[in-house]
Amino acid sequence: MKVTVENQGLETIVWFEGRLDTPSSLEVSKQLEEEISAKEASRTVILDCTKLDYISSSGLRIFLTLRKAASAAGGKVVIRNMNDNIRSVFLITGFLNLFEVF
Amino acid sequence: MIVKDKSAKLRRQTVLGGFMLIIIAAVTLEVTALVQYFFSRDGIRNEASQRAESELKAAELEIINVISEAEAAVRNSEWITQWCLNFPDSLPSVTRRVVECNPAVVGSTVALVPGYDPTRPLFAPYSLRNPGEQQTQLLSLATEQYDYPSQEWFTRPVETGEGYWSEPYVDEGGGNMLMTTYSLPIRDYSGQIAAVLTADISLDWLTGMINDIHIYPSAFGMVISRTGRIMVCPPAESLEMRQTIGEAAVSLGDSAAFMEVNHNMLTEENGNVEVKYKGASNHVFFDRIDRTGWIMSIVIPDNEIYMSVKRLGLMVMLLQLVGLAMIVLILRATAKKQREYQELNDRREKMLSELKIASDIQMSMIPKVFPPFPDRKEIDVYASMVPAKEVGGDLYDYYVRDNKLYFVIGDVSGKGIPASLVMAVTRSQFRTVSAHEKSPQRVVSAMNASMASSNDNNMFVTLFCGVLNLFTGHLRYCNAGHNAPFVVSRDSVKALPVVPNLPLGVVPDASFTEQETDLSCGELLFLYTDGLSEAENNAKELFSEERIVSEIVPGSGAEEIIHNMEKSVSAFVGDAPQSDDLTMLAIKYMNAALPEWTERHLILHNDIQQIPQLADFIEQIADETRIEQSLAMALNLALEEAVTNVIMYAYPEGSDGLVDIEAILRRNSIEFIITDSGVPFDPTVAPLADVSLPAEQRPIGGLGIYLVRTIMDTLSYERADGKNILSMSKKI
Repeated sequence: MKVTVENQGLETIVWFEGRLDTPSSLEVSKQLEEEISAKEASRTVILDCTKLDYISSSGLRIFLTLRKAASAAGGKVVIRNMNDNIRSVFLITGFLNLFEVF
Repeated sequence: MIVKDKSAKLRRQTVLGGFMLIIIAAVTLEVTALVQYFFSRDGIRNEASQRAESELKAAELEIINVISEAEAAVRNSEWITQWCLNFPDSLPSVTRRVVECNPAVVGSTVALVPGYDPTRPLFAPYSLRNPGEQQTQLLSLATEQYDYPSQEWFTRPVETGEGYWSEPYVDEGGGNMLMTTYSLPIRDYSGQIAAVLTADISLDWLTGMINDIHIYPSAFGMVISRTGRIMVCPPAESLEMRQTIGEAAVSLGDSAAFMEVNHNMLTEENGNVEVKYKGASNHVFFDRIDRTGWIMSIVIPDNEIYMSVKRLGLMVMLLQLVGLAMIVLILRATAKKQREYQELNDRREKMLSELKIASDIQMSMIPKVFPPFPDRKEIDVYASMVPAKEVGGDLYDYYVRDNKLYFVIGDVSGKGIPASLVMAVTRSQFRTVSAHEKSPQRVVSAMNASMASSNDNNMFVTLFCGVLNLFTGHLRYCNAGHNAPFVVSRDSVKALPVVPNLPLGVVPDASFTEQETDLSCGELLFLYTDGLSEAENNAKELFSEERIVSEIVPGSGAEEIIHNMEKSVSAFVGDAPQSDDLTMLAIKYMNAALPEWTERHLILHNDIQQIPQLADFIEQIADETRIEQSLAMALNLALEEAVTNVIMYAYPEGSDGLVDIEAILRRNSIEFIITDSGVPFDPTVAPLADVSLPAEQRPIGGLGIYLVRTIMDTLSYERADGKNILSMSKKI
């Protein structure tokens, strides 16, 4: 699992690549805690899922944590390019309603 | 378009040809009529000439009778006059006798040559018949006004010594009428001409006689004196009596023609001349009367001579024109008919081409690439559909979803375009409904509800719908009034037991029974429409289900079985027309993909880092069972959530424990049994996450067990022998 954070002007893009299962979620969670500060959270954070192959509930928790931090700091989280399998997991868990999804 | 242009050109040519034919016919007919007209003209002219001549002869005879009578009256009295010369006082009685004894004579005189009798220098007693009576009155011509010695009737006989017919004249002071006079010199016994004896003939009778000449409506007779004076001429409005023809010609302004007439008539004995008068041609037939030199003539206008032939000609032409007009009308009607037929043909061609397109569209709706699933060794599918008309009301369809073959075969009531429209709707409904339904019973019910609610034309569809689990050979099916398919195994052919149910579209809320069976490896399902079982030969025999069964060779492949059936039915039907759409669908279940294992084991330590092994475990199962990638991912997710739960919470922090995962493959489901020896924990009673909460209120946990329950079909927990046993299964 590989996660890259990139600041582009007023937007922060997080690139996910690989499988976001329970063990990798623990690492990614730590990484994002360091890289997404309150400053980034106050702006727009784009989660790019183009290369995300799999997500479990622990992965969903990361997305929810980012969402909560953003709304606390006055920013927003946008998810883009989910594949059908990921989208169906978002659908059955009601997560599709929590994010701006493109 | 080319065909249309060509036909239009052909049509133009036909019409043109038709009109050319009419014109040629018209010209031929008219030329014939003209030739006939000119030939008959000669005949008609001869006939007219003969009629004129005979009329002339008759008139002439009558004239000669009258003048002979007058001449005879005079000659018979010659001797008595001679004798009476010596007794002049008896001469008036002589004249009276001449008049009274001869009805034709109106007046008579004996005029003495002046000086013959010294006692009577002029002496001419004149007896004149009273009009309408036999009696006479006695007059005297010996007056100064009359001056008989200078009158022509007196001078000529005295000069010539012969009898003489005078020119016509009005005898003023004598008879006072238009008359002509025969005068004869009378000699005394010494031979000296002493007197002239006359007889007057009134020309009134001549006028009456000539007026009776009406051999043609406006033909008229004319009498001309020997010097060319007109004596009698009925249409005398412009020809004055006693004019000469020459004078008349000048006054009529066509002197040249009349001079010729004049010349001919005055010089020849008889004949005919043509003369133009008032712009019209006339024939003048004439004949000279020898005794008086008068010329009798009959003038006949040419147009009356030729009236009958003209009338005949006109009648013939009229009839021909009527005939031609009828031919034109018939030709036009024929051309119109032809045009209508052409248009009908164009429309028919257009409709045929549209039907061909409709047929292509219909054929493109049904799958017809064989084999349809080349990658799937577990099924062998083949189908054939032959509509009785351009488009048909049969349908079949199939596709694979989630490792299951969804298939349908159906027959819309009726044939042709209406049936094909219903067929298209039915086929798309099958696709739409079955995309969200796994149960053929629900597919059929939904299709029926939709179809029956909008069935204004009372069409119905018999249908057989099936869902075959390619993994297990389990077949769920629902029959809606369709023929029962045959199950063909290696050594037998048996009809699949079906509950008939109602066809689709009859009753909106009809209930349909779902049935199920298992196909074993090598078994084939043969489906067909009644176009096969009821195919008719010329003897009106049906192909029948018995023949279907006997023609099936057990153990055949899908394509082979359908091709054999096509050959058999074709040989049976012969050249009888195909009466109904004929559709066959064969599905052979090969079972080749069924994995050899039924159970798989994986044992993990209670270490979260071992979770990725689950992914490999699922991937291997998915490969062997050929389940869909999306299903594999869902199974992976459910398994990960369940196992993570055990790893995180079953064993005390820091202690080592195991998680046993067993996968069991069943006919149509896969089951996972997760066993651990940790603290008792029943996830099936754990509270579920509320997935409808907004982000701010969402707890971070609770999603895992929710996902497990949502994804799996069954979930059960059991505590046995100090172990937590969690079973969960999913239909495949």
